Amino acid sequence: MTLRDLEARVSAAKAEVEARGETFYPGASGVHLAAYPPKERWSDWVELDAKAWPKRVERRYVLVPTTCFNCESACGLLAYVDRDTLEVRKFEGNPEHPGSRGRNCAKGPATVTQLTDPDRILHPLKRTGARGGGQWRRVTWDEALDDIAERIRKAMDEDRHNQIMYHVGRPGEDGFTERMLAAWGVDGHNSHTNICSSGARAGYHFWMGLDRPSPDHENARVILLISSHLEAGHYFNPHAQRVMEGKKRGAKLVVFDTRLSNTATHADHWLSTYPGSEAAVLLAIANHLVRTGRYNKAFVERWWNWREYLEEVRPDEPVEFSAFQRALESEYAEYTFEFAAAESGVSAETIAQVAETVAEAGARLATHNWRSAAAGNLGGWQVARALFLLNALAGAIAVPGGTYPNAWNKYVPRPIRMPAQHPKRWNDLTWPADYPLSLMEMSFLLPHLTAERGGRLDVYFTRVYNPVWTNPDGASWIEMLTDPERIGLHVALTPTWNETALFADYVLPMGHSAERHDVASYEQYDGRWIGFRQPVLRTARRRLGEGGVSTRGANPGDVWEENEFWIDLTWRIDPDGSRGIRGFFESRARPGEKLTVDEYYAWMFENSVPGLPAAAAREGLAPLEYMRRYGAFEIDAGVGALYEEKVPPGELADVHVDPAGRAFSRAPAPAPDNVVPIPPVDGDEDGRARVGVEVDGVIRRGFPTPSGRLEFWSRTLAEWGWPEMAVPGYSRSHVHPQTMDRDQMCLVSTFRLPVHIHTRSANAKWLNEIAHANPLWIHPRDADAKGLRTGDLARVETEIGHFVAKAWVTEGIHPGVVACSHHMGRWTLNDEPGQAGAAVSLRRENGEWRMRRLKGAGPHRSSDPDTSRIWWTEAGVHQNMTFPVQPDPVSGAHCWHQAVRVRPARDGDRHGDVVVHADKSLGAFRRWLGLARSASRHSPDGTRRPYWLLRPVRPERAAYSLPSRASGDAGSG
Amino acid sequence: MELYRALGSLIEPPAPEHARLAQALGLPAAPAEEEHAAVVAFQRHAYASVHLGGEGMIGGEVRDRVEGFRLALGLEEGGHAEAETAGAGRPPGASVATDHLAALLSHRPETASQGGFGVAVATDHLAALLSHLALLETWRRGEADPARQALLSQARDTLAWEYVLSWTPPYLASFDRCGSAFYEAWAVLLRRALDALCDEVEPPARLPEALRTAPGFPNMREASVDEIVSAVLAPARSGMIVLRDDLVRLARTTGAAARATDRRTWLRGLLQQAPQETVGWLAGHARRWAERTEGARPRRVALWWSGRALRTAEELERAEADAGASLDRRRGPSRRRSATTAATGPADATGPADAAASAALAGAPGASAASAARAEVAAR
Repeated sequence: MTLRDLEARVSAAKAEVEARGETFYPGASGVHLAAYPPKERWSDWVELDAKAWPKRVERRYVLVPTTCFNCESACGLLAYVDRDTLEVRKFEGNPEHPGSRGRNCAKGPATVTQLTDPDRILHPLKRTGARGGGQWRRVTWDEALDDIAERIRKAMDEDRHNQIMYHVGRPGEDGFTERMLAAWGVDGHNSHTNICSSGARAGYHFWMGLDRPSPDHENARVILLISSHLEAGHYFNPHAQRVMEGKKRGAKLVVFDTRLSNTATHADHWLSTYPGSEAAVLLAIANHLVRTGRYNKAFVERWWNWREYLEEVRPDEPVEFSAFQRALESEYAEYTFEFAAAESGVSAETIAQVAETVAEAGARLATHNWRSAAAGNLGGWQVARALFLLNALAGAIAVPGGTYPNAWNKYVPRPIRMPAQHPKRWNDLTWPADYPLSLMEMSFLLPHLTAERGGRLDVYFTRVYNPVWTNPDGASWIEMLTDPERIGLHVALTPTWNETALFADYVLPMGHSAERHDVASYEQYDGRWIGFRQPVLRTARRRLGEGGVSTRGANPGDVWEENEFWIDLTWRIDPDGSRGIRGFFESRARPGEKLTVDEYYAWMFENSVPGLPAAAAREGLAPLEYMRRYGAFEIDAGVGALYEEKVPPGELADVHVDPAGRAFSRAPAPAPDNVVPIPPVDGDEDGRARVGVEVDGVIRRGFPTPSGRLEFWSRTLAEWGWPEMAVPGYSRSHVHPQTMDRDQMCLVSTFRLPVHIHTRSANAKWLNEIAHANPLWIHPRDADAKGLRTGDLARVETEIGHFVAKAWVTEGIHPGVVACSHHMGRWTLNDEPGQAGAAVSLRRENGEWRMRRLKGAGPHRSSDPDTSRIWWTEAGVHQNMTFPVQPDPVSGAHCWHQAVRVRPARDGDRHGDVVVHADKSLGAFRRWLGLARSASRHSPDGTRRPYWLLRPVRPERAAYSLPSRASGDAGSG
Repeated sequence: MELYRALGSLIEPPAPEHARLAQALGLPAAPAEEEHAAVVAFQRHAYASVHLGGEGMIGGEVRDRVEGFRLALGLEEGGHAEAETAGAGRPPGASVATDHLAALLSHRPETASQGGFGVAVATDHLAALLSHLALLETWRRGEADPARQALLSQARDTLAWEYVLSWTPPYLASFDRCGSAFYEAWAVLLRRALDALCDEVEPPARLPEALRTAPGFPNMREASVDEIVSAVLAPARSGMIVLRDDLVRLARTTGAAARATDRRTWLRGLLQQAPQETVGWLAGHARRWAERTEGARPRRVALWWSGRALRTAEELERAEADAGASLDRRRGPSRRRSATTAATGPADATGPADAAASAALAGAPGASAASAARAEVAAR
């Protein structure tokens, strides 16, 4: 047979196989290393049992995809469900997932240890003794649901909607509970974001209207990261792999990090900046670009709101671009390399080199700041704003190798029902008027606001969240949770025991990633995808022919999923539909019946995800079946620069373009399938809606900001009390050396251990074995001065208390700075620590909270024989409890870094000791509150908050109005 | 060129999909995992770096060059990335940037439709190289613009010349009489396909870079045993491939025991136990390789391999002769070492025994231990 004939035969065979939707070449690459089982064999996959070695024992699996629930990035997992025992044997990566592409960090495969955790909560529990007393009785779901629903219904009937609150840690499905709360008419959404990413998000939001960055690392010439934890594997493993791909393609990696992190070790330039000085260095780079003229002038002229800046800030200048260029030079002239060097401790030469590197990137500059400096410092939100300034100068926004707004790389499918109503009442506990520009809820002030202002929550849900341990000033949380006047009923929805659940009235077991439904989508490259989290045993059993299996029926014990829980609870709150709530969770196919998750997702995948029905049809599947089989779907890639997109004629009618170039139209806007949150910019006075902005004589989409352009100068900031911060700038942090006493040091507490998460990884034995300590990083120079050696106990004194940690002397930390990771120091009040960390005594005496370790980690008997093989005793120290609340007055974010004194431990100190002076806690709260500029004094329009700013649950417009006498902001200026 | 891709896939670990591939190509039934392990995984390493690198190991400079070649194609030669940037927002590889070599070579978007997203691949593996070749050829044929088609032709020819045809002549020859009907037939078919490629490829004036820069076989009078072992086992230095099966035959010839260890340790042991016989056998092996590759294609590459093997053979023969002379000079009573001890001695032995072996191989005085061992073999 000739080669030509052979070629034809192979091509024909390939075409035939692929027409069936099957894999012709084995392996995900289609070329080399059959790393993943071909998808057409996922229903019956055979592998040898590793534990049976050296015997060859075959095991047969159903492979069911889901998405990881440990960090936020929702990487794809494949659950290996044993066909004989219907147990999940292991998790590996899902090669069909566009974001993670089959690759996972340690936390993904470790999910199996969370499922089999011997300490996990398997049944609903109700407290029987005092809160925190550790006495529980098992109850049925019906009993719990009826009780909770009754209280909520009563609160609604008595117009106490604001006493219902849902406080979320790890997000599940985008928008699910937000919509549900809107349907309930409750402004009760509370998130953890203000102790996490909201500082950086505020910086992005003020620039472009969208609050998260989506860097295209893979195609970048220069990757500039403020710290490393995202790319080091805690968050966004999908970013980490693309950083590596970018480097393989020749990209330069620049990392700003006080510590020598994993990512920093791979950097071409590691800048160990003094905490809080990052913006100074970034502005020095910006100054270099501006001064040398190496910025994208055409982009700046077309897309920045420079005219608005000149008109408002430099009214004497002509409104011409050349004048703006001069003004730009003037704005940043003071940020010399020498100035940045003095602030950061990094040499001027190094900063100059990095500036040159950035200049050479052109528009292929991928930058990222998530927490880190933005979460650590007073004014930290300006770090993200200064960082994005570099992108804005380079025109590196939504172009290959640049940074995209997250909403353009994210897809939230329109669900079967959208609530028509908005809450009528504004919740001052989460959105106090003191912080009108707070990007997210002032969640970490809840104990202080309830204590100071008489707030009460009648039903308080903590949902996969652990504020007692995670938040600053955890003792104040214990005080709130144990105070029946402030908390009527505390319901902890959690898969595992945690420090907060110990103080709950109900502990309700919720599923891990393989035990629940969610749809997730995250910005990980220039594309949009959805991932489907599903209860894998339910899916596997159905695939094997067992009909009618419910999530609860398939999960271990009584473990449930939240979606079904909320549907059921909503029906019990409004059993006859008279409150107009039940309809939100009512079947479309069978009016009057409860919505099922199958109908919910079937409708969503059939109606709201472009391309999915067709892709499913090609394989002879319904869209829901397709998602149950593959777990993810890429809607599109190469979304590109949406701001440049011309507004189509169909959206233009009776168009009015105002002097600022903003275009308004009377044409009805098409209902989007993608309901990703976008700021609601106002229309014109004649009732037209904003559709875009005129650039080059063409109406283009622009940015969802008040000006429609990138906001170098923020009218919002200027008009709401912060004119001095209206352009990207730098202000000295609360841990600046000039701010602290001479014997104080900066404690960096924001960095993570790449294998851990807050609430649940303490119950993952593999992860605990990898990392179980959080020593105090200290530079040899500082250690010598204090007489500390590695392993010595050090007492770290904060404003409100102290903790005792082991010193780790290392040159991998900036001199004058100490660092201690979070994730460690988990504790329980039980006699036996189990897997969770340490057993401790915790008592309040004479205004002081004192925690002392009774027993650390160690071997113990349980249903898992591995717990008898625990070889370590470390459990770390719970440092967060000794941190006062430090809200940034603009972004509202907690400023994590601490001014501390570090000394050798005193006699009687023990590793893990924590002492908190409760009286100092409120003092610190009041002092920081004094920095705020309240809406009651600074609102330009009599509202509590700029309407265009994002808000997870948006009350009615009328609720935005400030009451006649501002309530609840007496402490702020 | 689906044929390249299919043939590349078949050198990977067996998978059920291989059955229909083998059938389509008219090959014998696809092998089981054990057969693949015995013939390919443990013997015939399908990596360019093994055959072109100075150390005969996976990875290193050769793999870096393959990777660099891909980078260079994607980012510069086509110039498409820049064009796309100017075009406001279409990233390379996304939305089927069909003219983008980076997308093409990094398995996007084609493999996406095959159900994968590009796991980390060893880019110098034969399967990957043949896949790259197939992709380039597919795009070359589909390119309407003559200038870009010429560019793609150049890229294909360079890939073929530098990283495929440069080492496949000896590699495919190693499958002759390998004991597997499937792999023998596979190698014959791939050789046919590559011979056809030779007719199309415009051979550059110079030999492939890896061959031009490959270090030669060392001077046996100066090299240590470890250097000699490394050179023997690095095809680019010795011009020959020494399989584990070959070492079994060598051990049988010298009367030494087979060893359950890596080739390097094993060969060093053989050189310590029976230097002259081992060297003599290796010289013959090199001569056989010189003949095996002489008539292959491309002609210049084949002659290089043949010539390299021939020079290795000559050097080994000279060393054998020197060692024999030395032995003759020094034959006499000495400390004996049992064959069993020698055969099972410490795998990481270094020091006097190695030094003595080196000295014996170089024909130098003071080779008492090696001479003794040699005498022992001779006496038996």
